[in-house]
Amino acid sequence: MIAMSNVSKAFGQVQALLDVSLNLYPGEVVGLLGDNGAGKSTLIKILSGNYHADQGTFEYQGRPVTINHPADAQALGIATVYQDLALVETRSVAHNIYLGREPRRYGFFMDRRKMEKDATGMLEGLNIRLPSQKVDVELLSGGQRQAVALSRAIAMGGNILLLDEPTAALGVEQTQQVHHLITSMSRQGKAVVVITHDLSDILEITDRIAVLRQGELWAYVPSSDTTTNEIIGWITGVAPPHVRNGAGQ
Amino acid sequence: MISAFKRQDNWTLIGLFITLLLMIALFSWQSEFFFTTRNFINIGQAISIRGLIAIGLTVVMIAGGLDLSMAAVAAVAGMVTASLITLEVNSVLVGVLGVAAAGVLGAFNALLIVKFRINPIIATLGTLLFYRGLAFVSTGGDNIVIGVNAWSELGRGSWLGAPITVWLFLAVVVLGMCFMRFTVAGNHLYAVGGNSEACRNVGIRVDRLRGWTYVAQACLAGLAGLMLTSQSGTALPSALNGAELDIIAAVLLGGIALSGGRGGLLGTLLGLLIIGVVQNGLILLQVQIYWQSVVRGAILIIAVTLDSLRRGGGYR
Repeated sequence: MIAMSNVSKAFGQVQALLDVSLNLYPGEVVGLLGDNGAGKSTLIKILSGNYHADQGTFEYQGRPVTINHPADAQALGIATVYQDLALVETRSVAHNIYLGREPRRYGFFMDRRKMEKDATGMLEGLNIRLPSQKVDVELLSGGQRQAVALSRAIAMGGNILLLDEPTAALGVEQTQQVHHLITSMSRQGKAVVVITHDLSDILEITDRIAVLRQGELWAYVPSSDTTTNEIIGWITGVAPPHVRNGAGQ
Repeated sequence: MISAFKRQDNWTLIGLFITLLLMIALFSWQSEFFFTTRNFINIGQAISIRGLIAIGLTVVMIAGGLDLSMAAVAAVAGMVTASLITLEVNSVLVGVLGVAAAGVLGAFNALLIVKFRINPIIATLGTLLFYRGLAFVSTGGDNIVIGVNAWSELGRGSWLGAPITVWLFLAVVVLGMCFMRFTVAGNHLYAVGGNSEACRNVGIRVDRLRGWTYVAQACLAGLAGLMLTSQSGTALPSALNGAELDIIAAVLLGGIALSGGRGGLLGTLLGLLIIGVVQNGLILLQVQIYWQSVVRGAILIIAVTLDSLRRGGGYR
């Protein structure tokens, strides 16, 4: 779906990313792992157009593209869900999902009924259960908020979803809910990248694992082909680099 | 039952409404003059002009801003209007120019806050002094007397038994409510006040929207200045001097948060009515005038304290 080749980015003296090549496929979930400062966020911000790569090329469905602005990324269907969620607490679930893209009537009025109907449909499609799409986000739990944020990413036409620590602030059950959500999104044919520190369940919810270490792609393997311990070895640098299958194609 | 209270704000409105009814009951019981049509018109008249400004301020505050300069803007608009009238400019044109002058001052507020990123409290504190000064400088401190003429009808006339100022105020309230509830822009203002960063991320033009709130607020303040000048037949450079805090108090009483994103014009209307009823009632009961401020302050403190406790501590 989207392929990035030999992407590098430096901030002054610090080489944040070096020669990273990664492919994302529809219906596939990639777990992006690495210690703090390994370059995970930099990679996501380059893909979402917030940073500009110093070097490297991008291909979208086989043709070369440039991602210099958030708008470029959006046009390619790349949607990012950040850790701090970027929800408006004092607005309803439906308005948060369609924020900035509200259905209109006569160009000027908000079509609240359509917005609420669409929101209900979208939440049902993702199998998300909320008390009501009319409720204000401030009354929702952390897992429910994450679900709203993901729904917005999809409503914005996202086919490639970049999730930055989606379960960082969540309890066990809510983490489960988000994992279900990730699975159901990939079943809808979305390409999903999940940044996470949480190694539990990571092998079940992802199809492939990419480990960054000091800006380099240290390991890139199918999830079925590795173990949690092996991943920890890559993250900490105890295990040697290991790029199998599909990198840099 | 539950569906009515999905918004925390709805509880605030119910609390305000009950308070208002209790006040009306209390004063009706204490004074035979209170519960009369004539008196309700008096209350309406008393809150309409400041109410216009409060409506504008509500919109500014919902979008997460604040404007302290609005009363000074009203004074400048009054001076501009009165000078034009003495020059015998066409009445309609006078009205348009008076409001437009206020709009320009609002645009200057917007420039400072949105473009130069100055904190709205500081920016409009500066323009409050600046605009108020302009109003005085324009005549060297003198009032401009326009007397009673065709213009006076706006501030003194009535229609269907109620003053035109009251009708105008109600029209602005209804239009404002429809705008904030039904339009995309109105809903965006709420969202901007709730989380401006989130709005920027999804491509909403936060700065432009915020900028317009200051212009709209200034235009409403200009309209209030016009009404006041028309009503009193005189433009005073000191018009509404010090009214800023009373107006902010009414808006806060109505459930608007300083942090933005919450509340609505209905709350502000209830806030204005409560303060109007209390002022009126205390006068009818011949309570010493100095108690007015004490009572208004107490109401505001009690209201926001209850609200904060109910929300589990609103200010963090």
